[in-house]
Amino acid sequence: MPVSWIILLVLVLAATAYVLGRRRALEGANGDPRRLHSRPVYYGWNAALSALVPAVLMLVVTRLALGSSNLGALLVLAAAIAGVIFALSRTTPDFRARNMVEQVVKAGLILCSSVAIATTLGIILSLVFESAQFFRMYPWQDFLFGTEWTPAFGGGSKLGMLPLLWGTLYISLIALLVAVPIGLFAAIYMSEYAGPRVRAWVKPAIEILAGIPTIVYGLFALVTVGPLLRDWIAAPTGLGDSGSSVMTAGIVMGIMLIPFVSSLSDDIINAVPQSLRDGSLGLGSTPSETIRNVVLPAALPGIVGAILLAASRAIGETMIVVLGAGAMARISGNPFEAMTTITVKIVGQLTGDNDFASPETLVAFALGLTLFVITLALNIFALYIVRKYREQYE
Amino acid sequence: MNDMSIVERKLTQDEIKISARGVQVYYGDKHAIKDVNVDILDKTVTAFIGPSGCGKSTFLRCINRMNDTIDAARVDGKILLDGEDIYDKRVDPVQLRAKVGMVFQKPNPFPKSIYDNVAYGPRIHGLARTRGELDEIVEKSLRGAALWNEVKDRLQEAGTGLSGGQQQRLCIARAVATQPEVLLMDEPCSALDPIATSQVEELIDQLRQDFSVVIVTHSMQQAARVSQKTAFFHLGNLVEYGATDDIFTRPQDPRTESYISGRIG
Repeated sequence: MPVSWIILLVLVLAATAYVLGRRRALEGANGDPRRLHSRPVYYGWNAALSALVPAVLMLVVTRLALGSSNLGALLVLAAAIAGVIFALSRTTPDFRARNMVEQVVKAGLILCSSVAIATTLGIILSLVFESAQFFRMYPWQDFLFGTEWTPAFGGGSKLGMLPLLWGTLYISLIALLVAVPIGLFAAIYMSEYAGPRVRAWVKPAIEILAGIPTIVYGLFALVTVGPLLRDWIAAPTGLGDSGSSVMTAGIVMGIMLIPFVSSLSDDIINAVPQSLRDGSLGLGSTPSETIRNVVLPAALPGIVGAILLAASRAIGETMIVVLGAGAMARISGNPFEAMTTITVKIVGQLTGDNDFASPETLVAFALGLTLFVITLALNIFALYIVRKYREQYE
Repeated sequence: MNDMSIVERKLTQDEIKISARGVQVYYGDKHAIKDVNVDILDKTVTAFIGPSGCGKSTFLRCINRMNDTIDAARVDGKILLDGEDIYDKRVDPVQLRAKVGMVFQKPNPFPKSIYDNVAYGPRIHGLARTRGELDEIVEKSLRGAALWNEVKDRLQEAGTGLSGGQQQRLCIARAVATQPEVLLMDEPCSALDPIATSQVEELIDQLRQDFSVVIVTHSMQQAARVSQKTAFFHLGNLVEYGATDDIFTRPQDPRTESYISGRIG
């Protein structure tokens, strides 16, 4: 019997159980719902859940143990029916049906929240195991401190991470240099100067930027910003002749990050109590002095948190780098040269017809682990700062 | 607290500091203050009393143009400070607020050190040329706010870490440090316990020697204790204004009498 049929049958059973449970509870109380411990619907739900929960558990067990078989389907239905009978036998006016139902709902909620945690753990474990395999084939010192990245399938490749890390940090730095001042000033304008009508237009308009897929930003970098920078700045000054450059990717990524910084900072600046602004204005300081001396220092921890969240976005960004900065792994201070980042090389090492046992492929997992550690540390740091800030005003 | 000393100190000043003529305030469509005329004396504590929503805080905020920060508020009429109209186009509200200080209902110390809180105004207005002068202003203001002895050993600690009463006295010290001529207080004791309240009240009486103090209060006992002049507001009107003793013992208007005997409000 196909799964869909089993599920349908179980649902029908559960619906029947609902009606039966509710009716049985009312009969036990001679039709007077006030003599029941819980409201009648809870007796119904209790019966329905007693059919659903064992059936779902049994379905999972039989699928794993027996595969798709008629025996499994029968066992599932049997579990559902047994659950209903058990629930109905317990349905008396004194039965604490509401508490039972709420227990089940709570268990469901806990299950959902643990899915995220379990997935994170799973991802970390898979990264760690694959990386461990990589480090058995390739010395970790060479990976962490090597300054050359020349993978060659067939042996003899140098897999030093530093050029990639350098590119990642360089591009992220430029992105933040673009995004932080613009985003912060936009936030200050929106929260302190803009009237409600302007704010109602400007804020969503800026947030539209956050909704653009990064590949579209990448195209913008490739066809517009890159050639523009090359023809107007890099080529005339003799700094480079490549359309792909750290500067291109950094600027475009910075534009992408503006809404992150401005939107978060705006919320944080708005959370600074009005009484502090009044206090400062009441002492005869101008609105701009108030913002500089009172509002921004009060909001600073939160703003730092916002910047760190933006930084971890920048570090994890791939598409803009592929199209904007190229794929050359090198360490150079010249922002008009092509460089590349960790994320781009992870994609590079895993796409194509690869042997998943060679260090050239497995290095992707080690790179992923490195990236994960960096962004995790940034996120934890950001959360720590944001939380510390929250305690101040609540 | 020494109640007697407050009662005994006589009105020594008759000089008019603030003079309001035909003041109207609108919040959007709401007519919050209706044609208020009042003369506030120098070196005197003037209390504004009245039921909630009667407009006393709104009128107080007119005197240092804090209503300018609210978009929907509109003020008509004339308010003269030392004979000059503060709503004149040539007057910068920022400069005005340095002359007319304000203490708010809830203590609102900045998230800075105690020292930086008090030094905030003097720094902005350039009142001290050297670090020594600034130290002097801070000490004098904290002494003036009867807080110096409690905080002199921890000036670099956060102002937000003080108790509620200390925070409010810090805010008073902060207002005093800017060397204003008028001090407006919007229910300065409503968030404080009785002990802190009596400390602040005592302080208000001392401040009278140097400033014209205007205090909005919900507590009629407080008005009777600290003020020499009292104004009773009701539904946006200034119903009665006179010496505090007269208002509380011989009110002229039946509304005033109802309020102080607890029938309206």
